[in-house]
Amino acid sequence: MDGTDMRSILKCVRCGTCRSVCPVFDVVGWESSSARGRMLVAHGISMGLEADKDVLDCLNMCTTCGLCEQLCPSGAAPPKVIEDTRHQLVLHGKMTDSQKELADRAKELGNPLGEKKERMSWLGDSAKDVREKADYVFFAGCLGSYRYPELTKRTFDILKKFGVTVLQDEVCCGSPLLRTGSDPLELTSKNLEQIKKTGAHTVITGCAGCYTALKNDYPGGLNVIHVTEFLADRLAEMDLKKLDLKVTYHDPCHLGRCNGVFDAPREIIRTVSDLKEMRSSREKARCCGAGGGVLKGYPELSLELSKRRLEEMPEGVDYLVTACPLCRTNLKRGEPKVEVLDIIDLLEMAMEQ
Amino acid sequence: MQNTVLLEKLQEIAGNTRVSTSTANIYCYSCDASQIRGMPDIVIRPDTTEQVSKIVKLAYENDIPVTPRGAGTGLAGGAVPVEGGIVLDMSSMNRILELDLDNLQVVVEPGLIQEKLNARLEPYGFFFPPDPGSSAMCTLGGLIANNGSGMRSVKYGTTRNYVLALEVVLADGTVINTGSKTMKSVAGYSLTDLFVGSEGTLGIITKAILKVRALPGERSVMLASFENPELAGKAVVKVLSSGIIPSACEILDSNIIQAINAYDPGVGLPQAGAILLFEVDGTENSVNEGIRMIEDACRSLAIDIRTAANKEEREEIWAARRLVGAAVSRLDPLRTRVYVGEDIGVPIKEIPRMLHKVREISEEFCLPIMTYGHIGDGNLHTGMCIDMLEDKDWEKLNLAADKIHRTAIAMGGTVTAEHGIGGARAEYLELELGKALDVMIIIKNALDPKGIMNPGKMGV
Repeated sequence: MDGTDMRSILKCVRCGTCRSVCPVFDVVGWESSSARGRMLVAHGISMGLEADKDVLDCLNMCTTCGLCEQLCPSGAAPPKVIEDTRHQLVLHGKMTDSQKELADRAKELGNPLGEKKERMSWLGDSAKDVREKADYVFFAGCLGSYRYPELTKRTFDILKKFGVTVLQDEVCCGSPLLRTGSDPLELTSKNLEQIKKTGAHTVITGCAGCYTALKNDYPGGLNVIHVTEFLADRLAEMDLKKLDLKVTYHDPCHLGRCNGVFDAPREIIRTVSDLKEMRSSREKARCCGAGGGVLKGYPELSLELSKRRLEEMPEGVDYLVTACPLCRTNLKRGEPKVEVLDIIDLLEMAMEQ
Repeated sequence: MQNTVLLEKLQEIAGNTRVSTSTANIYCYSCDASQIRGMPDIVIRPDTTEQVSKIVKLAYENDIPVTPRGAGTGLAGGAVPVEGGIVLDMSSMNRILELDLDNLQVVVEPGLIQEKLNARLEPYGFFFPPDPGSSAMCTLGGLIANNGSGMRSVKYGTTRNYVLALEVVLADGTVINTGSKTMKSVAGYSLTDLFVGSEGTLGIITKAILKVRALPGERSVMLASFENPELAGKAVVKVLSSGIIPSACEILDSNIIQAINAYDPGVGLPQAGAILLFEVDGTENSVNEGIRMIEDACRSLAIDIRTAANKEEREEIWAARRLVGAAVSRLDPLRTRVYVGEDIGVPIKEIPRMLHKVREISEEFCLPIMTYGHIGDGNLHTGMCIDMLEDKDWEKLNLAADKIHRTAIAMGGTVTAEHGIGGARAEYLELELGKALDVMIIIKNALDPKGIMNPGKMGV
C-alpha cells in the first residue's frame, strides 16, 4: 500500500457518516458493506489480514460511486483506497471469478463484454466519414460499440458535422480493469497511440466510465470532455425545438461527482424539455448501482441498488435521462415506470421536429 | 457447547443470513470511533425481540459475552466486544411501531436512526429533541444506552428526559417492560432510568416509548465573536444567569472555526479567538426577545455580534457544526482527530477556568487542543489531532487526555457528559463516583450474575 493510501485510511475517524449515505450498505446492512468497513479491511490487509472470499466480496461490492468521499468530514478517500487495495490483491493473484473474467476478456478481445464481432461495425455507412486527422476524436466505448450501436452511430453523425473523428481500432478504455484492480496498460497504450495519430487535442466520450478513465488514469493528461459538454457549447448551431416533455436526469457518479460535469447535461435537457430533478442530484446523487464491477460481480445487489435509485424519481415525468450507457443499462434493469433515454436520444427528438 | 453447534443454534434462531462469522465482519465489528479494540466471534443482526431473547438465553447458558451495537458511532468503545463473544448489531430492528402523537409519544425499535425519526415526525409538527452531531447515523438504541444528547441539551436536556418506557432483554433472556405510557409514574424504582445510560451492561434494549415535542414555530441563530475562549466562557455564564434559556449554546475556538470553513466554505464563519453560536426557539416574540437579551449580555465582552440571515444559513451552520468533530482532521494532512479525553463536563461557573486550564495543558504538552462543544451545559469537546504514525504523539495525547479528565473531576465535573464511559474512561469512575461505584457493581452483579452483558465496560 502506498503512503497516500495509508494516510487516507488514517484520516478515517470511523465517525460513520458514510454509513448514512453508502448505497451498498443501505441494501446489505452489514458493517463490512460500508465505506468505513472497507477502510478497516483495507487497513487490515496492509497489516497482513488474509484476503479470503468474504474479504474480496467486502472490497468488490463497492461501486466506487464516491458519495462517501464527497461527504466524509475528515477528508478520507475510500474509493481510491479500495481500488488500490483491489489492485494489490490482484497482483498477488487474489481476485473473484468476475474480476478475472473482466480482465481476461478485455485483454483477449479488447472488450470486457466477451464480444467477438467487429467493434467498429456500429459505424455502418458513416465509416466513410472517418477522418485520419481531426481536432476532436470520439471515443465510442465498449457499451456504446456493442450494446448501443445505433445510438453511437447517431451520436457520431451529429459530431462528425463538427469535424469529429473516431479511432480506427479502438479497444476498451480500461475502466472496468482500473476499477476492479487489474492492469489496463496494453489497452490504454493502444488507445493512446491512436489518439496521438489523429492529432486530436480533445477526446469526446458519451460514457462516464470511459470519461474518468481517459481523463484521470491515462498518462500525459489527456484533454477529455463528455459529449454533453461538446454539444452544450454548440446548441445554437443545432436548430433545436423545445419539446413538450418533462424529464428527470440521473447524474452518473463518474461523470458528475467524480469529475464535476453537472451543468452541461442539464443545459441540454433544459434547452429541449423541462427538467425535474431526482430526490438526490448533482454532488449528492445516489448511484445507479452498476459501477466498480458491481453489475458484473453482484448482479442481484446491483439490481436492488437500481431499484432504490429509481425510487428517487419525481412524479409526472415522461422519461428518465442519463448520460452513461452503463447507468442506462442498470436503470433499465430496475424496470422504471418510464423509458430510460440517453441524453442524445432526447436531443435528437428535438432535432427531428 | 462446541462452536459449530452454537453457530447452528444461533442460525436456527435468527436465520442464516443474519448470523456472520466472516473474516470481513469480524474485523469490521472490532471497533467503533474510539481507540478500543476487540474481536467478536460471531456477529448477529436480530430482527425481533424474540430472537434477541433466545440469543441472550443461549449466551447465558453457555457463558458467552454479548455486546449490543447500534451504528458503532460511539466514542468510548461501548459497542466493542473487548472479551469476544457475540455482537448484536441492532441496526436492522429499525421500525417506527407507533406514532401516538395525541399522547406526545412514539414507539420505536432501537436500530432506528435519530434523523429518520425526526424526518417522519416533521410533517406532523413534532420532533425528538436530543440532537447529537451523529444524528444522521446514530441509532436511538445507542442514544438511550449512552444517554446521549447534543447541541440542544441546554434547553431540552438529554435522552433520559424523553424515555417513558423500555422493553429490555435481561441477561438470562427474560423480557421485561419498564416505565409506562403516562407522562408521570412513581410505581416502583425507576428501572427505565437505570437502563438509560447503562451501555448494554445490564440488558439489551429492544423497544422504547419516547416522548416527542411540538416543533417550535420560530428559530433564530446568533453568532458572537470573542478575542479568546475564556471571554466567551464568561459571556455564557452571563447569558444563562440573565434568565434566557437558548435552545443551543455552542463554543467554537479559532481552530474549529478554521475547520468548519474548510469543510464547508459556504458557512464563512468570521475568524476570531472564539465564537459562541446561540440558537433561540419559540414564538416570534419570544425569539426576538431572547436574541435581544443575549445580545445585551454579550455586548461588553464580544468583538462582533451577528444573526444568521435566514433558515438556509442557519441550517448550513448547524450541518457543518455537527460534523466538525471529524472535520478537524482536515486542518493538517498528516494529523487525524483521535477521540480521547474529548467529552468533559464542568459546572457552568467553572467554564472559563476550565477553558483556561485546557489552554495550559495544550501548551504544557505542545499539543494543539481544539475546543468546541455544548458550553451552555458545561460540556466541552477537546479535540486533539496527532500524527498516528508517531509514538511520541500518542504518548503526549494520552498524557494530555489524562490531565484534562483529572482537571474536570477536580472542578466537580465529569469525564463524560454525553459520550459514555465504555472501555475508554472506566479508570476514572472510582475517582469521580467514589463509593457509588460499589453500588453500581452490586446492581451489575444482581442483574448480570455471570457477567456476560457487555463485559469490560463502565468499570463494573
